[in-house]
Amino acid sequence: MSRREGSLEDPQADSSIASLPHLEAKIRQTHSLACLLTRYAEQLLQEYVQHQGDPFGLPGFSPPRQPVAGLSAPAPSHAGLPAPERLRLDAAALAALPPLLDAVRRHQAELNPRAPRLLRRLEDAARQARALGAAVETVLAALGASARGPRPEPPAAAAAAAGAFAAKLLGFLVCGLYREWVSRTESDLGQLVPGGPA
Amino acid sequence: MEKTDCTALTMDVYSRWRRPPQPVGCRRMRTSSSFQWLLLSFTLLYLMHQVNSQKKGTPHDLKCTTNNLKVWDCSWKPPSGAGHDAVYEVCIKNRSRSCNQLEETNTKILALSPGDHEITVRRLHDPRSSMSKFILNEKNISLIPDTPEILNLSADFPTSTLHLKWNDKGSRFPHHSNVIWEIKILRKKSMELVKLVTHNTTLNGEDTVHHWSWTSDMPLECAPHYVRIRCYIDDLHFSGRKEWSDWSPVKNMSWSPGSRTKVFPQDKVILVGSNITFCCVTQEQVVSAQIGNKMCPLIHLDGKNVAISIHNISASASSGTNVIFTTETDIVGAVIFAGYPPDIPQNLNCETRDLKEIICTWDPGRSTELVGPRSTDYSLYESFSGKNVKFKRVEDSINESYQLFFHMIPDQEIYNFTLNAYNPIGRSESTILVNITKKVYPRTPTSFKVKDTNSTAVTLSWHLPGNFAKINLLCQIEITKTNSMEELNVTIKGVENSVYLVTVGKLSPYTTYIFRVRCSTETFWKWSKWSNGKQHLTTEAIPSKGPDTWREWSSDGKNLIIYWKPLPINEANGKILSYNISCSSDEETQSLSEIPDPQHKAEIQLSKNDYIISVVAKNSVGLSPPSKIASMEIPNDDLKIEQTVGIRNGIFLTWNYDPNMTCDYVIKWCNSSRSEPCLMDWKKVPSNSTEALIESDQFQPGVRYHFFLYGCRNQGYQLLRSIIGYIEELAPIVAPNFTVEDTSADSILVKWQDIPVEELRGFLRGYLFYFEKGERGTSKMRDLESGRSDIKVKNITDLSQKTLRIADLQGKTSYHLVLRAYTDGGVGPEKSMFVVTKENSVGLIIAILIPVAVAVIVGVVTSILCYRKREWIKETFYPDIPNPENCKALQFQKSVCEGNRTLKTLEMNPCTPNSVEVLETQSAVPKIEDTEIISPVAECPEESSDAEPENHVVVSYCPPIIEEEITNPVVDEAGGTSQVIYIDIQSMYQPQAKPEDDQENDSVGGAGYKPQMHLSIPPTVEDITAEDDFDKTAGYRPQANVNTWNLVSPDSPRSTDSNSEIVSFGSPCSINSRQFLIPPKDEDSPKSTGGGWSFTNLFQNKPND
Repeated sequence: MSRREGSLEDPQADSSIASLPHLEAKIRQTHSLACLLTRYAEQLLQEYVQHQGDPFGLPGFSPPRQPVAGLSAPAPSHAGLPAPERLRLDAAALAALPPLLDAVRRHQAELNPRAPRLLRRLEDAARQARALGAAVETVLAALGASARGPRPEPPAAAAAAAGAFAAKLLGFLVCGLYREWVSRTESDLGQLVPGGPA
Repeated sequence: MEKTDCTALTMDVYSRWRRPPQPVGCRRMRTSSSFQWLLLSFTLLYLMHQVNSQKKGTPHDLKCTTNNLKVWDCSWKPPSGAGHDAVYEVCIKNRSRSCNQLEETNTKILALSPGDHEITVRRLHDPRSSMSKFILNEKNISLIPDTPEILNLSADFPTSTLHLKWNDKGSRFPHHSNVIWEIKILRKKSMELVKLVTHNTTLNGEDTVHHWSWTSDMPLECAPHYVRIRCYIDDLHFSGRKEWSDWSPVKNMSWSPGSRTKVFPQDKVILVGSNITFCCVTQEQVVSAQIGNKMCPLIHLDGKNVAISIHNISASASSGTNVIFTTETDIVGAVIFAGYPPDIPQNLNCETRDLKEIICTWDPGRSTELVGPRSTDYSLYESFSGKNVKFKRVEDSINESYQLFFHMIPDQEIYNFTLNAYNPIGRSESTILVNITKKVYPRTPTSFKVKDTNSTAVTLSWHLPGNFAKINLLCQIEITKTNSMEELNVTIKGVENSVYLVTVGKLSPYTTYIFRVRCSTETFWKWSKWSNGKQHLTTEAIPSKGPDTWREWSSDGKNLIIYWKPLPINEANGKILSYNISCSSDEETQSLSEIPDPQHKAEIQLSKNDYIISVVAKNSVGLSPPSKIASMEIPNDDLKIEQTVGIRNGIFLTWNYDPNMTCDYVIKWCNSSRSEPCLMDWKKVPSNSTEALIESDQFQPGVRYHFFLYGCRNQGYQLLRSIIGYIEELAPIVAPNFTVEDTSADSILVKWQDIPVEELRGFLRGYLFYFEKGERGTSKMRDLESGRSDIKVKNITDLSQKTLRIADLQGKTSYHLVLRAYTDGGVGPEKSMFVVTKENSVGLIIAILIPVAVAVIVGVVTSILCYRKREWIKETFYPDIPNPENCKALQFQKSVCEGNRTLKTLEMNPCTPNSVEVLETQSAVPKIEDTEIISPVAECPEESSDAEPENHVVVSYCPPIIEEEITNPVVDEAGGTSQVIYIDIQSMYQPQAKPEDDQENDSVGGAGYKPQMHLSIPPTVEDITAEDDFDKTAGYRPQANVNTWNLVSPDSPRSTDSNSEIVSFGSPCSINSRQFLIPPKDEDSPKSTGGGWSFTNLFQNKPND
């Protein structure tokens, strides 16, 4: 796992390679990573709600979706977009996730300092989101549709939550968004994988 | 305040009015009294009217109050008709410059001294007006403080606390007074009273700003709060009436909510079990509220704001307890952390390891249930130095180590530590006063080394970090060698971070020791941990003793074999390289030098037997003292071999004290099975001893050893005792080998052999001989120890006995014999044998003679009877036939007869009949059913068979039902048949019929009566089997005492079925054999093979068989 992540964290080395077999391998590799992270993201969300107390861990707890500064949820029209555009949105969201996940981890370090597994998962999630985002950008570059310039860093205040409950809620939303975007990325890459769904 | 006259009058009237009713003695005048009261009432009303009329004409109703006790504020009502421009003169009697002219109806006068003061008020410039006089007393003055003013009202929203600030204006009062403040807290726009509290202060002559705080149970953000205040001055010196001031104007404290919905309080930390109120400030309709998963009822506040109240909250989880309000479009919430204040730190202990730094440790006690930023913080404060250190928490550690390091202050030994614990809920502390020089727990000594000083001493050195220059160290040195351990305590002057040296003496040369050290202080607190162990071998020294020596003469008596034991390590003091031996007598000395160490035996040929042998051991340092022993063996003719058995792991020997034994005693021993001279080991004991315990690792249970006790005289050793023994006796390992020497019909003679000593494994105590009847493979002698009654046992304790005759046995019977030997260690294995006794010949002879004798007797008796009844027999069976020649009627002429040969009518010449006609038909033959009834009757005419030559029914009562279809050759010719039926008597009385198969089997088995005289059967019909059967069944059958006989062999089926079902055999009156003329029809005819018996069976049929 770590070796795969390590290779993906340095995607620029492969950016100039655009030969078709290599592209297919890259897409397949990135898709595999997205599949893996989808499962990890689900586990992260489950682990997260277990440590927040009721009603977070109760089945059916579904707070209204609130906007998270610097990160939006996948739009319903996402599936109708062209593949490069979808991947561009995926890459943007994956780039916005790590600082949010880091902020959530900091909150949880105060709320649940004795939940090392949750903290480790959050830390891993930030790193993995970064790696997946970079891999998607590599695929984009290989497809000849590079990401649109540098994205602004999400404001630090965006991650700041007023009160512990807001922090818990923010963490819940961020973990949920992380799962959605990783899953969306897996789906988008799956359509590019040769032999995958059209 | 009233005018004086009015006052006097009024008082008079009042006194009358207040007069109590008359006592009982005046009752008779009750009617007249009522009238008087009525009259007085009218009078009073009249006078009051007059007074009021008079008042209205003069200043009246003088009233005075004060708000500072310094100045009285007096006012009066002007006379009727007085205009606003009226001028009054107010005079106070007995006061200089006591009159003032005023244009108002009130005046301020300085406070008057206690007592009555006359004040006159007169309207100037009005001739009609009269002067009013008032008596003014402090008691009539009301003290009404000024209305207090709230200087400031502020709120601390996070703590829901209101802070109130006001000035008591104490400088306006002449002296100190107690002040009671009453503060009113109002909530919501409807100004519902929430709290009314009193607050006591003191006026101290100066203006003082007072602060008062109040914490709301509801967050201040939830609703506007209002505050009012008033006061009451309780001046002890003031004798007038004291009244509350007016309420101050309302001060408002409200929070301006934004547009977003918010919940208050946020992240509150409270004590477990307390109550708390949450509110939701919102512009939307709140649908529900819950804490955790529990729904809460809503308390409606102003607008759409709501609150919930939580009582007796329980401890929160790590991330707190969630409180959530759900609006129509959103959810908002807060987290509450319910926990405990820090427990008092327990087991606070402060010590130092190096006198440079103090380590204080403690146990936090009960968990606060709060983590992260809400967990308990600790700080350690040292009061003498005023220094403070704070505890840094490691958050991710569950098992936290609660300790703080405090740098020691130079030249300070006494420390007074206070450990403060605090969290958002509360705080606690624990203190300890320590003399740190007495709380030294040194670190583990390092760089531990051992260095040789000499063969019995070493120098130990180690490094101990720390500033111990002002104290003494107590160090403990552990010295371990094989099988022993010793601890040595030494006190050392402490130094600053240096190496410590200690010399350890009284060690053994050439010995391996393991040294290690630990230290404490002289004022002991704790030992340090042990240093690493250091193994060290001390240097060699000369052997301290000569080797333990013994000698044996060779079997031919010419050579002396010298034995010596290797020196123990504590006496060898080094590695023994060789031995030197010398044998010296008065005349000569023989020596053997440099015998290498592994050899511990030497042989020297000596010409005589009086030598002194000297053995010396040598190591790298030098020679041991010589070990000497005399070679002479003093004979002892009075020797007996004794026996002994060991106790636990050794052999205990005792002997009587013998003053002649001047040197020592030597016990040598060897395995008794070894050939002489044998020597396993020896042991020397002092000459004053009378006992010895011989122990050796070589001793084994079950092995016989021979012990020899020698006493040492000056000139040599004398054998005193010879003992054989076992360290532990065991059961013999083999069984004694035995044979049967002789066998008779009723006895067996057994002979056995001794067991070899090596296999005996103990002193033989006897033999156990078991015997029982039984054949090989059927013997039940499995568990000999169970004491079964049918196994006979003989215990042979006479060890000289080697044979045993077992008598009273049965003839021709198989016996199972078992022999085992036993010692005190147990019973050995068994050896078994099966022996069959011989047949009893006397019984056989008797069995033959008795029936022969009976037969002879029967024959003789029969002969006698026949002889005596011969006439009758003759008459019956062979009557005389009259001679026709003697008949007169038939008397022919003799001449005719004699002369006429042709007359042959009555001539009795033999003639041959042409034919024989059988007159009796087959239907005349009786059926079986009939014979069953008549058979008992038919048994007697034993001779009838002979009397009726043919066509008769023979009925027997003995055999089982056997149907033999007999073909009578004579009858056969006539085409008829006859049956011979054997009926068992028992079957007669047991009417149920057996199955045919059984009948056949029974008949084949041959049980029951059979014809006892076999017919002569034509050879064409008889086969070989039949001949055998004939042998078994034919011939004589003794019929007497049949109940004791068994008609079948013991192994026959009938025998195994039931002995009680022995078929009745024969009849007391039927002792003769019966001869049947009709042979068996064919091969299927019943055989009599099973019905035979023998004399052997007769004598063997005993109950126990």
